[in-house]
Parts: sequence; C-alpha cells; structure tokens
Amino acid sequence: MIAMLNGALSNGAILVLMACLFLVFGYMGVPVSFALIAGVFVAVQFTPISMQSMVGQLFHGIDSEALLAVPFFLLVGELMASSDVVQRMIRLAQTMVGHLRGGLAQVVTLFSMFFAGISGSSTADVAVLSRTVAPQMDAEGYDRAFIAALIASASTMANLIPPSIMAIVYGATGNVSIGGLFLAGVVPGVLIGLGLMVYSYIWGPVGIRKQRASFAEFATAAKASALPMVIPVIIMGGILSGGFTPTEAGMVAAVYILLVLIPIYRPRHVFELPRDFMHAGLLYSLPLAAVAAASTFGWMVAFLRGPDIVSTYITGIAGTSGPMIMFSLVVLFVIVGDFLDAVPAIIIFMPIINKLTEVGNINPLHMGVVIITTLVFGLITPPYGLSLLVASKYVGVGFGRAVVRSLPLYGVFFLTIAFVVLFPDIVLWLPKQLIPESVGCFKAPSGTGYICPP
Amino acid sequence: MADDLRSIVLPRHRHLKWKTFDPLEAILMVLCGVCIFMFTLAVFCDVVTRSLGSPWNWLQQVTTAFFTWGVFIGMAAATRRNDHFYLTEITKRMKGLPRSVIETLNRLIVLVVAMLLIWFGYQNAMLDLGSFRMPSLIPLTWYTAIVPLSAVLIFLFTLEQLVNGWKHGFEGPEDMDNIVVDEVVAPVLGASK
Repeated sequence: MIAMLNGALSNGAILVLMACLFLVFGYMGVPVSFALIAGVFVAVQFTPISMQSMVGQLFHGIDSEALLAVPFFLLVGELMASSDVVQRMIRLAQTMVGHLRGGLAQVVTLFSMFFAGISGSSTADVAVLSRTVAPQMDAEGYDRAFIAALIASASTMANLIPPSIMAIVYGATGNVSIGGLFLAGVVPGVLIGLGLMVYSYIWGPVGIRKQRASFAEFATAAKASALPMVIPVIIMGGILSGGFTPTEAGMVAAVYILLVLIPIYRPRHVFELPRDFMHAGLLYSLPLAAVAAASTFGWMVAFLRGPDIVSTYITGIAGTSGPMIMFSLVVLFVIVGDFLDAVPAIIIFMPIINKLTEVGNINPLHMGVVIITTLVFGLITPPYGLSLLVASKYVGVGFGRAVVRSLPLYGVFFLTIAFVVLFPDIVLWLPKQLIPESVGCFKAPSGTGYICPP
Repeated sequence: MADDLRSIVLPRHRHLKWKTFDPLEAILMVLCGVCIFMFTLAVFCDVVTRSLGSPWNWLQQVTTAFFTWGVFIGMAAATRRNDHFYLTEITKRMKGLPRSVIETLNRLIVLVVAMLLIWFGYQNAMLDLGSFRMPSLIPLTWYTAIVPLSAVLIFLFTLEQLVNGWKHGFEGPEDMDNIVVDEVVAPVLGASK
C-alpha cells in the first residue's frame, strides 16, 4: 500500500488531510489520542515512512526525563487536596484581602496565586474554589455567572506561576529551560492576578464589606498555612539552587506532603494513599497519552515541511519582525486554543514555533512564555474552555452565561499577552537574574559574570 | 459521583461493560498506582544516592521504565473507564440510531488504530531487540513491548463496549453529566472530602 500511495499527494495536501482527519474524528467523539494517531496512520500511507517507526515515535514521544515532572505535580495536587490544607490557605487570603471591595472575589484571585505556586493544574484550582469559596460568594449575592468566570480566569494562573505543567511540556518538547519558563511565567501570572483584582475592585460585585483583619488574625492564619506554603520554596528553591531538576523538585514536594503534611493535618488519610496513587497514576496517563500521540503528529508535521509552509505564510503577513511574528502566533493560538487542549497543541505546533523563533530571531524562552500565556487564555474561551466548563458546571450556571460574563475579563488577558510580547526585558528579567543560561547567557571567559545576547 | 470516579472499578457506563473484565480494570488501576509509586521511589533513591556521592545510575532506567509503562497501562485503563480526553461530547446529546451509528464509527476507528498498534508495535518491539539502553545494556524491547500489550487491552475494551452498545444501546444515565468536567475534577473533589 505504501508503494502505491507514496507520492500520490503533495506535502501540503497530506498535512491538510492529516489535520482534517484528526478534527473530524475528534469532533465525532473519538478520544483525542486515538484521533491524532488515526490521522497520522492515514497520512503515513502517502509517505515513505514505515508504520513501525511511527509506533516507535509514539513511545519516544514520552520517553523523556523532563516529562516525568508532569505526574509529580499532578500527584502533588492530588495529595494537597487530601491533606486538607486548602481551607488554611483560603483563610490566609481572607485576612489579606477579604476587607476590600468585592472581598471574596479578591480572595479567589489571591488564593489562586498561592495555589498556583503548589499545583500546576488549573482544573484542580477550579475544583477546590468551586467547592469552598463559590458557595460563600453565592450566599453573599455575587452573580453566579461572574463567580464561574472569575474562578476560571483566576485558575489559569496555575499554568503560569511555577510549577506549570504547560511549561514542563513546552520545555521538554521545545528544548527550552523548564526552570527558565517557570520563572518567566511569574510576570504574566502576577499580571493576570492583579488585573483580575483591579477589575473586581472597580467593576465587580461589591459583596459584603468586612472589617480589615487584625495583625494577630493575619499572623495566626499565616502560621496555620506555613507548612503548605513551604512547597513553592522547596520547588523553586531546589531548582534555582541547582540541587534538583524540575522533576526531582516535584518528587521532593510530593514526598514532603506524604511525610509532613498528611501525618500532621490528616493522619487517618494514610489509609487512603493507595487510592490517591492509583488515581494520580491514571490522571497522569491521560495528558501523556495525548503527548505521545501528538508527538507522532508533530513529527509528521516536521517531516512534511509544515514549519516551512506555515512560516512562509506567517512571514508573508508579519515579515521577520519578532513582535509581529509573535502577534501572528498569538492570533493562531487563540484560535487553536479554542478547539484543542494546550498540551497536544504545544507538541503539534512545536516544529512551527521553533522555525518562527529562528526566523524572527526571538529568544526561545520569550517565545515560550508568549505561547503559554496565549494558551492559558484558551482555558476560558468557548467552545473548549476547560476551566470555564468545569467552573460553570460546579457553580451551577449555564456555560453560555459564564462566557458572556467572562468577556470583560478577556481584556485582562489581552493586555497581559500584549505586555509579554512587547516587554521581553521585564518578562525575562527574573530568569536572567536567577538562571542566566536559560535566556542564552554564557559564563564570561574571565570567570566572573555572564555574557548575554542583546 | 466523585466517589464513584475514585472507585477501582468504575460503576459508570455499566451497560457497556462485561463483569468478566472488571478484575482486569482493577488490576490495571493497581498497576497505575504501582507505576507512579515505583518511579517516585526510584527518583527519590536517585536523589539520595547522588547526594551521598555514590549514585546508582541504573535507577534512571528503572524510572523511565515505570513511567512509560504507566502511561500505556493508564491509556488502556482509561479506555475501559471512558476517561480519555475528548474534543467534544456531541454524541452524548444524540439518541437512537444516529447515536448508535456515530458511537459504532468512533469505536471502529479506535479498533483499527488498536489493531495497527498491536501489529506494528510488535514489529517495532522485535526490531528493538537490537537496540540497547545504557548503562545496563538491556534491549529497548523491554520498554516498547508495552505498546502492543496496551493496544491488545484497548482492542478488548473497545470491542466490549461495541458489543454491549449494540446489545443494550449506547445511551446511559451518565449522558446527563458533563463528562469532561467529571473526569478531570472528580478525583480532586473526592480526595478533598
């Protein structure tokens, strides 16, 4: 069959066929992983590539030490929920911002920032907030559509503020420093958080105004949540000190929860741990199955010279200007993110991203943070805004109403994305100071300091 | 519902399942737990032995073996539990013959993919007898053999759903739920109780 069909279609036609088959199968209801593999297997028939090698690529797509961090951060999220510390962190957020206008809306955003420093999963954040703060907001008269929109928007920070599963996947497949991506995600993450807080303060529902917490109350809340708040320190401290890789930092955080938090806060949960492990084991296999399938798809895109085709098209519009190329990719990924999950999107489009990074002479770390910031926006846009779907379901409001209430919040994301594209020096300042190699700096021959690209 | 989703054998979609395969689902879930526990332990030992100045290099091979096997075992388990990521849930809103036709087509596509993975995965694993992993020089086949093995299970579970779907209909009480939401969130919710 290979001999018969090989060369029957041009590369561009094979690419279109492969993409169309994936979308048709996917929207028919075939699981994403199988829809991707099916598209690739059909496309392979028109090329000289052997089926065995594509099956091999399926395996090699996940045979990466860096991707090991994904299950660890999912396990951390699972164990954090088990160790019953979430209420302590919410209490801390309440003592800090609960007295402001729209107090509980501010609490949602600040808590999401805290939680983002521990978990790399937006959906875990939505789940926790929908169960805890959302009922309180409802009781205080906040519009349910606004509650869902705010929780979903705030949860996106989990994929920007380190640790971030999207950053791990991007770093592992794009050969970009994961530690650098973690640090570069801090600025957009905090900007989104601040933007949501400002929006809630000025335009959001007032809620019930509360008294400012006393310093003693703040100190008590801070003390109560001190142990879980050590986790971000362990993760980033370990990576920045050079003690651990991101994978090892995830493992250490998981072990810390197992050996410290659960025995102290919820000792009886020890008997439930086998179940936690089984579910974390199943949970991590889902995105990584998509990674494996998407890696075959990405490999085919590269083989069929997709990056050349797309980059010629994009440079035809945007020229070779770095910011214009990035804005073009932002438009592309806003559309892609509406229909496709971020993890497969990163892997499928990585060859194209790499090509355009080269053409526009863009710092790969800068490109990475622009793409990730754009893709997190896809978590709250229809029709496949996973965070908004989850939030609207659990808050008990129609998805359509939640989308409408999210529209003003999109402004926060557009401003953040524009900032990230236009001010690389600010976005990359933190990685440049703490992991200079991640932005392309190298040690000066004199032995002191670094030489960095302009 | 959240507790249901944390069950070792998922009670949902019962009308698409044979009881005979329930122990298999339970074994796969246990293996998922074993894999993540083992590679957590392996990375832990790796860090400890390296810190002590006498690293066990073979631990990295153990880690990647459990990690990759875990992914493909989870892929098979997720097939039986209908836990995979989906782009859409359009079929869940359909009824009658159109629903049966689309559900059948979807599963036929998965069956064909699984068959190709079995055959070419087997050939690939045989080829890998000639490739070796450093430093222990074990054949790569020990790693890649999981691809056809997982595909056999995926084939079985998909066939199970297809046969039962035609017998009892594909529609079930779970159609009322937002599957995407439940699959992703329920484990977290269940754990936080």
